[in-house]
Amino acid sequence: MISRTSPIVSLAVRAVTPIALLVAAYVLFAGHNQPGGGFAAGLMLGAIIVLRTVAGLQQPRHATWWMAVGGVIAGLVAIGPLLWGEPLLDQVVVTWDVPVLGTVKSGSALLFDLGVVGLVVGLVLALLDGLDATALVDRGRRPAVADSPVDRAATADDQGTPT
Amino acid sequence: MIWSLLALHVVVVVVISVIGARLGRNALWLAAVPMAVTAMWSATRLGSDDVVTAGFEWVPGLDLALEFRVDAMGSLLSVLVSGIGALVCVYAVGYFSAGAASMGRFAATLLAFSTAMVGLVWADSVWTVFIFWELTSITSFLLVGFKHADPVARIAARRALVITAGGGLSLLAGFVLFVDATGTSRLSEITPVTGSTATAAAILILLAAATKSAQFPFHVWLPGAMAAPTPVSAYLHSATMVKAGVILVAVVAPAFQDTEVWKPLGLSFGLATMLWGAVGALRHVDAKLILAWGTVSQLGLLIALLALGTPKATFAAISILVAHAVFKAALFMVVGEVDVRTGTRNINELSGLRRSMPITFVVAVISGASMAGIPPLLGFPTKEAAIEAALGLSGNEFLIVGGLIMFGSVLTVAYTTRLLIGMFAAGDPMTGREVASRRPAMSAPEVILAAGSVLGFIALGWVTGVVRPAAVTVSPDAEVYSLLRWPGLTEAFVTSMVIVSFGVLIGALLARRHVASGPVARGAANADWTIDGIGRLARQVAGRVQHGSLPLYLATTVTVVCVAAVPFVGEIDTDTLYWWDNRAEAVLVLMIVAVAVAATMVTSRLGAALVLGAVGFSIAGLFVARGAPDLVLTQLLVETVVVVGFVVGLGRLATKFPTPTRLWTAGRVVIAGAMAIAVAVALAGSAANPVGEAPVRELAVTAQTEGGGKNVVNVILTDTRALDTFGEIIVLMVVAVGILTLSTKRRRTRPETRTDTPAAGSGPASASARVAPVDEVAR
Repeated sequence: MISRTSPIVSLAVRAVTPIALLVAAYVLFAGHNQPGGGFAAGLMLGAIIVLRTVAGLQQPRHATWWMAVGGVIAGLVAIGPLLWGEPLLDQVVVTWDVPVLGTVKSGSALLFDLGVVGLVVGLVLALLDGLDATALVDRGRRPAVADSPVDRAATADDQGTPT
Repeated sequence: MIWSLLALHVVVVVVISVIGARLGRNALWLAAVPMAVTAMWSATRLGSDDVVTAGFEWVPGLDLALEFRVDAMGSLLSVLVSGIGALVCVYAVGYFSAGAASMGRFAATLLAFSTAMVGLVWADSVWTVFIFWELTSITSFLLVGFKHADPVARIAARRALVITAGGGLSLLAGFVLFVDATGTSRLSEITPVTGSTATAAAILILLAAATKSAQFPFHVWLPGAMAAPTPVSAYLHSATMVKAGVILVAVVAPAFQDTEVWKPLGLSFGLATMLWGAVGALRHVDAKLILAWGTVSQLGLLIALLALGTPKATFAAISILVAHAVFKAALFMVVGEVDVRTGTRNINELSGLRRSMPITFVVAVISGASMAGIPPLLGFPTKEAAIEAALGLSGNEFLIVGGLIMFGSVLTVAYTTRLLIGMFAAGDPMTGREVASRRPAMSAPEVILAAGSVLGFIALGWVTGVVRPAAVTVSPDAEVYSLLRWPGLTEAFVTSMVIVSFGVLIGALLARRHVASGPVARGAANADWTIDGIGRLARQVAGRVQHGSLPLYLATTVTVVCVAAVPFVGEIDTDTLYWWDNRAEAVLVLMIVAVAVAATMVTSRLGAALVLGAVGFSIAGLFVARGAPDLVLTQLLVETVVVVGFVVGLGRLATKFPTPTRLWTAGRVVIAGAMAIAVAVALAGSAANPVGEAPVRELAVTAQTEGGGKNVVNVILTDTRALDTFGEIIVLMVVAVGILTLSTKRRRTRPETRTDTPAAGSGPASASARVAPVDEVAR
């Protein structure tokens, strides 16, 4: 219900989304020479997805797809070099001349990082899905849960000594 | 060529798996193609001295590689494996009825098995041997359990898998010690070794061979495996898989012959198996089981001969291996044909098939006589070689080993005679059984194999020329021996004739005696009881250990870590300890301690989540102070996601923690304090003894030259130690799959049935372990 009651949150998250995406992309590409990398970029994306879910803008779906694609990319980068007789996970560095950016150096490590991004985003989505976040956001919190009989029973049970 | 052949196998397996369902029985023809090609290629290399190798370095750093080396032995074995495989495919076309189901699956599995077997006989590195060894276990499990709707087949398949795969574990351990003892993983480079490591390796490898080659007391899986369709039995249990153990013993024999255990242990396995198998063959009435027990007996003889280790015995073993593959496959095919055409394999019910199945009869007599060692068939000179090897022994060895081998041979002749008389001789007419018409696809392979037994004797010089180089690879002194068509009235020949006469006499007498039914398979029952028992034990242990109480899990883990830190106490050097590098660290650490203590005191769940977040952010601050921007970035992001995640997830739980008991509170304080001390001790201990200088400079240089990046941390993650990262993301994947599975399961389970699932929670107060009941209320 956060989103329904608070247009400020909704609007703020909406406004932040493109910036966060841009930063995530930057972190991913910058990772090779400056702080950042696939894990950080994935978490950045994950964070914005969590925010959007809480704000009710999005539902945490397709966790399996993210993970599958990420896993396949990382896996291919890992075993790919074997086809050329190189050892497992051997890196290929490519240097391109891109019009605006000038000379760009990149490599298969970037692809590997992309796979990591996919997996991390998938993990975050899976977490949100596992917590049933959408339903929770839609329904809001119920007051006075602790007073219900079942919880008290559970609490009483909790008092048992360790076995 | 090696690669192309293996690739051909794999491609055809895939093709059959995809389109096999549409092909029906014709899938078997397709499966026969790669086998026939391999058999022909190997046949051109028979008896030649040149060696073909192929290798593929997988992970050079770990010495992981696929290594193949086709020498005289490899060619001989792959001719048998692939040649008989192709014949079995043809035979299977006749064996199965036109509308038989799952023929694609059958053909694909059969070919996959054949691939594994070819890989095994060509393998040079012990690791390659191990891989293909396990592949044969798995594919044969699938083949034995082909009729998976039948519980008997399922149990037999499981028994076969557990015993042979258990042997596989022993093999892996044995190979590790083997490489340690011999200093090489190449089978072609081994040298004789002695010592305790070599002894242990010898025992483990012999055990593995014994499980695979059905040596007593591991033989129990083989008769059970007769639940498989007969083509499978003809292939796996005559020519190939059961020979894997024998082949293994042969190829590692040069290394272990000098160890003290090798010979006695191998001989005990072999001789016990030879006798017990022959006895089993004499007791059963199911023709297929008679052959199965006969195979057990023959495998025992082979292992005994190889363990004996004399050049003569080795030569005899390799020649019997060839002859046995030819005649035993034919005999299995005969029994399968009798089964298909009359509907029974019980020798009590069968009689007089000599008239109604003449071709089958001729094949059976030729192959049976070859098995009994009667001239003029291939089995005769090979058996002669074995008897000569036995006669060549002296002293007690001659009395015990030689005597038992001869006694075993008498029994072999006896069960062969009994089988042939039982099936084909005229007796009580078969009531109510029609003999169905002949199927050419079944007869053709039988006739070819029977002709093999005859032609092998006629062209004995050629056979010698093929077998001798193979025997020489095991025992170089074997090159002086030959298979003889007519040895003259030697001691061995006379002995052999006495053996045959006695055997025929006993067999004929036993065939007269009516046995109502075969013995109860007590060994198999015991094996199943053990396997079930292991399962029960595992469930009980898991039930105790995996009690489902999160606090107890945590307490256990933390306690173990505390104990692990004890050895570090002595390592601490107080001179290396100092307070801080800069004062900001002190402030941050105080902050961390304060919020961490606060986290234990907060009673509301949301408050606890936020305080934990504060701990995380303070630690990020500590990273800033130490100048580790990558860590800071990641730590901040992780904390953010975790805190927001907590806030989302807490909606499912009661707002306050349940009040713990005094005792449990005290327990938690103790555990937490111990953990704090343990971490401090471990850190101080490792600070006192740094393992060399940190290779920061080196890494910074290689990061740029090899990794092509300036961020050392990231280059380490994605290049230098990418394998570690790969492992970590696999862990992430597993975690995510676990979360998804749990959440999906929870949603599908109805609330009523759910009450019994968290029953394991008799543990102490816990927020997280109690999600389910509270969740129910939230709905």
